[in-house]
Amino acid sequence: MRRLAIRLEAPAGRVFAWTVMALAFLFLYAPMMVIAGASLNGSAHGAIVFPPSELTLARYAAIPASQYRAIWISLELAMIAALVSVLIGVPAALGLVRGTLPGKAVVAAIFRAPLQIPAVVLGITFLQLSYAVGDALNLDLAGSFTALAIGHCVIATPYVIGTVTAILQRFDSRLEEAALSLGASPWRVFRRVTVPVIMPGLYAGALYAFMVSFSDVPVSIFLASPDASPYPVEIFSGLEQDFDPSILASATLVIVFCFALMLVVQRVVGLETLLRTGGSGRR
Amino acid sequence: MALPPLVLFITVLVGSQSLFIAGSFHRDLGLGRTSGAWELANYIRVLTDGLYLDCLLTTVRVSAVATLGTLLIAFPVAYVIARMRSRWAMLLLAGIVASTFVTIVVKAFGLMIIFAGNGLLNRALIGLGLTAEPVQLLGTETGVVVGLMQFTLGFAVLLLYSLIQTIPRSFEEAAQAHGASRLRVFRRILLPLALPGLTVGGLMIFNMSMGAFTSAALLGAGRVLTLPVLIQQTIMMQVKYSMAATLAVVLLVTVLLINALSLLLMRRMRTGRRMIA
Repeated sequence: MRRLAIRLEAPAGRVFAWTVMALAFLFLYAPMMVIAGASLNGSAHGAIVFPPSELTLARYAAIPASQYRAIWISLELAMIAALVSVLIGVPAALGLVRGTLPGKAVVAAIFRAPLQIPAVVLGITFLQLSYAVGDALNLDLAGSFTALAIGHCVIATPYVIGTVTAILQRFDSRLEEAALSLGASPWRVFRRVTVPVIMPGLYAGALYAFMVSFSDVPVSIFLASPDASPYPVEIFSGLEQDFDPSILASATLVIVFCFALMLVVQRVVGLETLLRTGGSGRR
Repeated sequence: MALPPLVLFITVLVGSQSLFIAGSFHRDLGLGRTSGAWELANYIRVLTDGLYLDCLLTTVRVSAVATLGTLLIAFPVAYVIARMRSRWAMLLLAGIVASTFVTIVVKAFGLMIIFAGNGLLNRALIGLGLTAEPVQLLGTETGVVVGLMQFTLGFAVLLLYSLIQTIPRSFEEAAQAHGASRLRVFRRILLPLALPGLTVGGLMIFNMSMGAFTSAALLGAGRVLTLPVLIQQTIMMQVKYSMAATLAVVLLVTVLLINALSLLLMRRMRTGRRMIA
């Protein structure tokens, strides 16, 4: 009787689990597939049709220069954010894991703060700060590319700190001690032992930093101006005000780019590192 | 070594935050100017005005429902992946995580197309005979909940995956070998062991939802107001910095209070159970 019960239950549980899995994938990918599908349909100014009834690339040809410019601004911002957050995040992570500074917990909390404060609030406060600093230094900071870049660096840095910290905490420090006792200089130990070990965390963190910046709306929406408006803000205001169907085409390009970038980084650092360090503080 | 970045962080972050919070104790004079006097007028207004209280309640409600929904989907998905013994596990997990790399604006836009009056969802529902009239999801709380789940699901799966990996598979196998049904294994072994992590993870998802702006703004379509959306409107349309700051403080304090209360409740539950045992 009992054996029968198990045999009946096991497949039922499996069917349930796989159904949920399929639904989860459908739920996560349906919005992107609908956009990609609709982007292939009809004239540049027609209605949104999914599934597409006739396949044309008319919408791709109609992508206005302003959208390409916005994508370019987003790319520039994301590259700056990735670079700066590595320059700030790696020493910070080293200091937080290895340092003997008193009040390390407070410092760690400050570095993590951008993850905890709602992004809208961060955006407003950065805007206010850019007014205040701009007034004090007599600069035109508010609405400038510089203000956007600084804001993006602040929200991106915690991700690099998170991934590098995750690697350092599992790192066997005896490796460094061994190198030191064999006569290597501290700088050589750092370059030949420490850096290679944290490299995967650095790449993974840089990827997360890039993506956080590249996809941000709530911070950028306050800092953007007609001169410097990143792509996500451009779509957001396009959806709220005057909708242009060529957004479907440019959004598809951006989706493809995001997946391609993840594939490339995955090739470099390995899927495991990417996934293992990814849980450490993304939001 | 952490000193120069720390200095930068403190100026940008702590500086901007304190400037902002201090502003909540002044009164808006219009056109973005604020009064010099310190007062609590904004807080009294937020805590007594039905409009603001409604908005706070809506935010907590949609965030709680979205968190629950996300956990209900994410747990079985994460469980299956964590217990899988083949290479497929990493690929499935990568597929889920990859979806979080695409900006939520694009995904919310996709949901808007699916939810449209003659969109996929309504055509499917009408085709299946489940409804005669198109269902309106855009601009409803249900729509916002779905948008928030779209935002949090990928992270939740990753979070619960690492949680379930810390629970040895052998516990479940032992219970099953002794004749416990799957449901019983889940209720008596998996759930108790996962509960602390599940609570912390659930709170993280809840915090994400409470602060979510893009999906709430687009799927709420101006008819459902959550606090982050209201904060943005208060600045962009009314140019009331002090009021926005007050709302932000209320949002932060609410999130902190709910987190502290849940953790306290969980601790009490655990000591209670230990006393019974």
